[in-house]
Amino acid sequence: MQLHPACRVRQEGFGLLFYDSRGPRLLFVETGDLLTPEFFSGDEPVDNRLARIAPASRARVLGLLAKLSEKGYLREQQIC
Amino acid sequence: MSNRYVEMGLKAPVNLTWEVSLACNLRCSHCLSSSGEPAHGELSREEALDLVEQLHRNQVFQVNFGGGEPFMRPDFEEILDACHQRGIMTCISTNGTLLDEARVARLAKSRLVAIQVSMDGATRETCDAIRGRGVYDKAIEAIRLLAATRIPTSINTVLTTQNAGEIPAMYEMAKSLGVSLRVSRFRPSGRGADNWEELRPTPAQLLAFSDWLAKSGDVRTGDSFFSLTSQERQGLGLNLCGAAKLTCCVGPTGNMYPCAFLQTDRFKAGSLREQSFKEIWDESEIYESFRNLRIHSCEECTRFDQCHGGCPAVAWHLKNDISGGDPECLERCVTSIADANRAAKAA
Repeated sequence: MQLHPACRVRQEGFGLLFYDSRGPRLLFVETGDLLTPEFFSGDEPVDNRLARIAPASRARVLGLLAKLSEKGYLREQQIC
Repeated sequence: MSNRYVEMGLKAPVNLTWEVSLACNLRCSHCLSSSGEPAHGELSREEALDLVEQLHRNQVFQVNFGGGEPFMRPDFEEILDACHQRGIMTCISTNGTLLDEARVARLAKSRLVAIQVSMDGATRETCDAIRGRGVYDKAIEAIRLLAATRIPTSINTVLTTQNAGEIPAMYEMAKSLGVSLRVSRFRPSGRGADNWEELRPTPAQLLAFSDWLAKSGDVRTGDSFFSLTSQERQGLGLNLCGAAKLTCCVGPTGNMYPCAFLQTDRFKAGSLREQSFKEIWDESEIYESFRNLRIHSCEECTRFDQCHGGCPAVAWHLKNDISGGDPECLERCVTSIADANRAAKAA
């Protein structure tokens, strides 16, 4: 799963700020220190990224990923 | 829009308008910045590239280039490339007259650029009356070139009394050309102030446009039309003025302002020749005053949650008071029509 090419994310005091240039739209996510923008960069499989999240927080992160995907901020990564 | 987070203060704007030059080959009668000749002391190539680096360091997501006509700057494509190399998304507002096949092909190499071509009427007659003879045809030619690429392209129209009746036709024209339509608000700034009475849409036209907009979900507005949009449309975009909170403006000589429509000494937040971008964003008293701006006179209005008082720039230009509420908001259009009807009956 990757950030859509039209989208960007950065860290703010409250958590993560997502920007979608297609609107433009903004999404404010109160993640605190749970996630950093780096989580959404690179080609590493989602499972590997999730493995580095504390088990107690994984469900919340998965919920967030689902919400981001539904809103078009993320897109499925091609396998080949 | 989560106003709470915006009010907490963002560490940088999410996007900004950068008027890279006042130079323009046209003399449109509604031009917000009275463009024509370049401004004295415009940012040099080196200064412009340094600004791009600062924007990157501050994680500004997008730069909206305007002017003037950006392509009048010989180094504009270099500035654009510098943005793209750093992952900054860009949008260029152009009159289209300087776009040829070769330039469009170069632009199409980046996936980070979007282009708005300005047109002010669905007919040659209406458009050229505002923008100049022959501009309609050149703009259409540019749009055709752009539509053949993957560059997201839109027609940008400033709503005036002359073209208000042609907006639905412009929508159809944009669709037939394979691009989208964006409608911007006419503000009494620059030459727009000189021609305000001649060009301003009537309250009835603004209301009719608002109704049409509510039914036209794929038409983009973006710049403060929130004061005119219906509740259903609020979910599509912002519902408050983002100046100094989400966005800001850099003028041709490196002065920073809250927005492109307030590029006057009164609203100068700082100069990039004297301070860094970050210092100005964080410390400018002008920006602070916009962040704390509350339009108390509008708080009792039923639409306050939707528009938060509308556009301070219009309030400034028409009433000399940024905190006085938008004199041309939807509610005031309704009141103004009702007043006119009452006066007509009484007469």
